[in-house]
Amino acid sequence: MNLSMTRIQAILIKDYKEFSRNYAVSLMVLMPLFLAFLYSKSGSATIATYFLSINIAFSMVTTYVQCCLIAEEKEKNTLRSLMLSPASLGDILIGKSLFVFIITMVIVALIIFIVGYSPANLFILAIALILSTVFYIAIGTLCGLFAKTVMEGSLIILPVILIFSFGPLALALSSSSPISKIAEWLPSSQLVLLAEALEGTYTTMDVIIPMVAIIVWSLVTWIAAGFIYKKRMVD
Amino acid sequence: MNAVIDVQHLKKTFNKEVALQDVSFTIQKGEIFGFLGPSGSGKTTTIKILTAQTEKTDGDVLLFGRPANEMKQSNNRKRFGILTDNSGLYTRLSIEENLLLFSNLYQLPKSAVKEALDFVNLYSDRKKKISQLSKGMMQRVTLARAIMHKPELLFLDEPTSALDPVNTQHIYNGLRKLNEMGTTIFLTTHDMSEAEILCDRVAFLHKGKIRAIGSPKDLKKEFGDESITVELKNGACEVIQTGEQDAEKLFHWMQSNEVSRIYTNEPTLGNIFMQITGSDLV
Repeated sequence: MNLSMTRIQAILIKDYKEFSRNYAVSLMVLMPLFLAFLYSKSGSATIATYFLSINIAFSMVTTYVQCCLIAEEKEKNTLRSLMLSPASLGDILIGKSLFVFIITMVIVALIIFIVGYSPANLFILAIALILSTVFYIAIGTLCGLFAKTVMEGSLIILPVILIFSFGPLALALSSSSPISKIAEWLPSSQLVLLAEALEGTYTTMDVIIPMVAIIVWSLVTWIAAGFIYKKRMVD
Repeated sequence: MNAVIDVQHLKKTFNKEVALQDVSFTIQKGEIFGFLGPSGSGKTTTIKILTAQTEKTDGDVLLFGRPANEMKQSNNRKRFGILTDNSGLYTRLSIEENLLLFSNLYQLPKSAVKEALDFVNLYSDRKKKISQLSKGMMQRVTLARAIMHKPELLFLDEPTSALDPVNTQHIYNGLRKLNEMGTTIFLTTHDMSEAEILCDRVAFLHKGKIRAIGSPKDLKKEFGDESITVELKNGACEVIQTGEQDAEKLFHWMQSNEVSRIYTNEPTLGNIFMQITGSDLV
């Protein structure tokens, strides 16, 4: 794939400027911080509650912002202008994702600080958080490509928030429950399971299985996003 | 052959509706070619096919000797510029920020932005946000973006439709200058005077079919009335043909000082379009 750092950087800077002047979307990033603050005051200090805030941040910041950025580009016909420029598919998707990636990393780090979570193995957890961010950006891109307007994007995103942010809560159900079985393989649940394993004595498979599950979710979603993007290039 | 665009028997259907049928034309390097037709005649669809934004249904479409579909490739997109009625500008960014983004995407020096702004007479307004601009100013920004990388081929979809006469003239001069530098221009318009001023050749598109093609001069010759109207001082109005017999008649009137006013009945391109298609251009 033909990639250019100049083009990726140009799209990143453009997205930053657009985002900072779009208060409807930029204020949304503060919501998970506020929720994390409330959780920190509730006195509950379990992995599940720490990761409820983190998973909400992934849906409400990563997926929502990415979806809105893409949907707005479609609504205002600017995505077509980018597609008609020499920027490649990779330049546009990486450029548009990089900004949301940086914002997500900052917000997740702030949430971890606010809720007072100190992971037993920060390195492994950081890799899992990065992989999760890549997945949530992909799903935001996909939703944005499906939406015709920002308003439509805001609606499409609701089931995503519901399934991925609150899916891990189903883990508390009986392990024989089919909902629990399905919810267990959500990337958000796998992140919680990994974090819980890291707190005790864990095996290599306890780390590899969640990582692979998140990577598979990311790959499938990115392939779907790339396919839809190419379809959107032509009328 | 120096054909920049070569379209043969192009057909495009949307579901079962035929948008373009058996459209054929060739545009040589350095030409300004006008594609004239009313709204819904297929002008924008043609541009979309040429720039690989829409797939053709049938026929051959070559740009720079390669299938138009290859214009999707990143490097090929540097070879053309496009201005459409839908600006695709970032409304929260300033004029300069919009152009800077595209100068980086085309990997141009920063001076390209100033040159493009001068071209459309917007340098002093460069800090204004797009959301604060009039439609005409937005059109000039889109034009600046289209020409900033000095493309070999420029697609202009109604380039001066929202401009005032002063800026229209400014754009005409700029387009002529670009053309002199070797840029081939494919222009769609329903402004006949614009086509007459700018275009080397024009094609009339009506209901998806090309009805006539040629230089404005040749079309006027082929379809026009070459008669002259002579108003005489006694109030009579005589129409004479440009033949030897009528020349003698005119000479006689002039000799006897009977002529009050003379004017040609040469048709406009709009008249010819109406004559061929039986409908108006707007």
